[in-house]
Amino acid sequence: MKGKFQREVFKIGAVDTVVYTAGKGDPVVFFHGAGTLDGFDFTEAWVDRFRVIAPYHPGFGESGDDPEFSSLQDYVMHYLELFDALHIDRFHLVGLSMGGQLAAMFAAAHGHRVKKLVLVAPSGIVDPEHPTLDILAIPGEQIPGLLTSDFSVIQKRLPEKPSLDFVADRYRETTTFARLSWEHPRGDPKLMRYLHRLKTPTLILWGDEDKIVPVQQAQRWKELTPGAEVRVFKGAGHLVHLERPEALEAITRFLASA
Amino acid sequence: MSEAMRFNAMYFMPYVHLPENHKEFKSTWVNFPNKYYDPAKGHELYQRYLQELVLADRLGFDAIVVNEHHNTVYSMMATPSVIAAAIIPQTQNARICVWGVPPNFMLPNRLAEEYAILDVLSKGRLEVAFPLGTGMEYWSNPVNPATARERFRESLQIILQAWKEDGPTTHYGKFYTYRFLNPWPRPYQRPHPPCYIVGAGSPETIDIAAELGFGYSSVFVPQQRALELNQMLRERAARHGRTVRPDQLPLLTFVYVAETQEQAEKEYIIHLQRFFEDYARSTPQWLAPPGYLSIEQLKIRAAGADKMHGGFDFAAISKSFFIAVGTPEKVANQLGEWAERMGTNHLNNVVHVADMPHWKTVKNMTLYAEEVIPRLRPRAATATKGGTA
Repeated sequence: MKGKFQREVFKIGAVDTVVYTAGKGDPVVFFHGAGTLDGFDFTEAWVDRFRVIAPYHPGFGESGDDPEFSSLQDYVMHYLELFDALHIDRFHLVGLSMGGQLAAMFAAAHGHRVKKLVLVAPSGIVDPEHPTLDILAIPGEQIPGLLTSDFSVIQKRLPEKPSLDFVADRYRETTTFARLSWEHPRGDPKLMRYLHRLKTPTLILWGDEDKIVPVQQAQRWKELTPGAEVRVFKGAGHLVHLERPEALEAITRFLASA
Repeated sequence: MSEAMRFNAMYFMPYVHLPENHKEFKSTWVNFPNKYYDPAKGHELYQRYLQELVLADRLGFDAIVVNEHHNTVYSMMATPSVIAAAIIPQTQNARICVWGVPPNFMLPNRLAEEYAILDVLSKGRLEVAFPLGTGMEYWSNPVNPATARERFRESLQIILQAWKEDGPTTHYGKFYTYRFLNPWPRPYQRPHPPCYIVGAGSPETIDIAAELGFGYSSVFVPQQRALELNQMLRERAARHGRTVRPDQLPLLTFVYVAETQEQAEKEYIIHLQRFFEDYARSTPQWLAPPGYLSIEQLKIRAAGADKMHGGFDFAAISKSFFIAVGTPEKVANQLGEWAERMGTNHLNNVVHVADMPHWKTVKNMTLYAEEVIPRLRPRAATATKGGTA
């Protein structure tokens, strides 16, 4: 991450937490998913109007590790402390995939702090008929091919030949994810129980060719969070915001609307 | 026990009836379809392998070694204690080594009980090793590989407590709670059977052996690395005020003995090749489930795996691992030299690999027992002195 972003490090508990920030205005926090090879440079689209805050979760990307983190609830607690350190009280919250699940958990518990909530292909729903892919069982080299419908979109972000460091970085992030979800890779039954608490304006986006979290789960989110607006984009995969410019524009418009 | 040279007969008990199309599968582990397992053929193989294990006792091997693997043709011993129970009544002198059950796949009290039963049954002939379990086993058993090392450590603590302390005791840990840890029976040997850890060289695992005073046997690591690991155990054990005895460093060797060098190679190499190419065939994903390895170890092994590509090369593999093939004199000299260099008097000999037929196995074991062991017994004292310096 370079460009307009400023890198800061916050010591939260035992974890050196790396946060990229840019822009001025209402804060928008972005939670990445269970891997970081897709990056979050797309959030630059919001910099003109908002103060964008993009942290690396503990155990991912440039942030440090805490092997004691065993569930997303530990991440909720981590972010309560990080937001205190950042002196932000109310903010927009955008989450992708596992980050979407985390954002929904955060908002269900601390809804008064979230102005608007955006979930991009969130994981977490247990849907036996349309289950979330158990990516822990997928060989690492096959995962990039599952992220988008058009492979060239993600290919640009991959090294030509994966170095040992690249492989090790992916292994580390998968390890962190395994600590959270090895036993229940298809979702968190408790999450569904609390989604009705999402009273904040919520936008949910999905690509109809999502190979990781099936688009049919969008309907379940709609049922469980009656106020949410659900938008499905044709011909797009899991990283719908990278594949469809109109998906990213939809997020920007939703955040900017009164 | 630490003085005399010791000779084990080590077995994998492979399922040898691979389907003709098996090369189409990247791995013969984890997801290799079990429709290829024929129980009638399995029965015949068990009959044969058990006879061979019993023969090891009659021939004068000091110990018989069995071990555990899952979802694979590599081994038909998914529960090795069952195999041990089958051979205990048929053997007289050999120590029975279950090397062993990964504690993470058992409730710790159940494993303490199971081993205690075997020790009582055999009147104190049991020895146990605690493996973390290969990466493959974590795809086959419902245990989180990312917390495996922590769980492993806690399991060992519980098992040792169950064996060493008068019950009932309690254990309140991260993974297990015991309100009444009080297993019946208790081991025949006091305080417990000799214990080892087997592993592929993770320093994290060696630390556990050093701390608990266990032996350590590295498996499938190159010679130079095995030497370093033995040294590492001695150093780390010393930090805990412990001295590692030579017999606590079993050396895994592959042996085949015949009348001439040429005959030995002709009879053996094809089976060794199949062992590495077919029976041990796995994938990087199976070998390293998430969190099973530290990042440092992942890098070391990924770099090493790159060098291993290019198929089976007997000369290269013989230099890398401890593989002794040839006349009794050559095998004895080779083993003696390795024992001295490694500071051990404990040879853990794989006497059967892959689809080696019964007659070769019997021939190998017989020549080893009658021609190799007598050559090496007198060297034991020298080897012991040399190694512990």
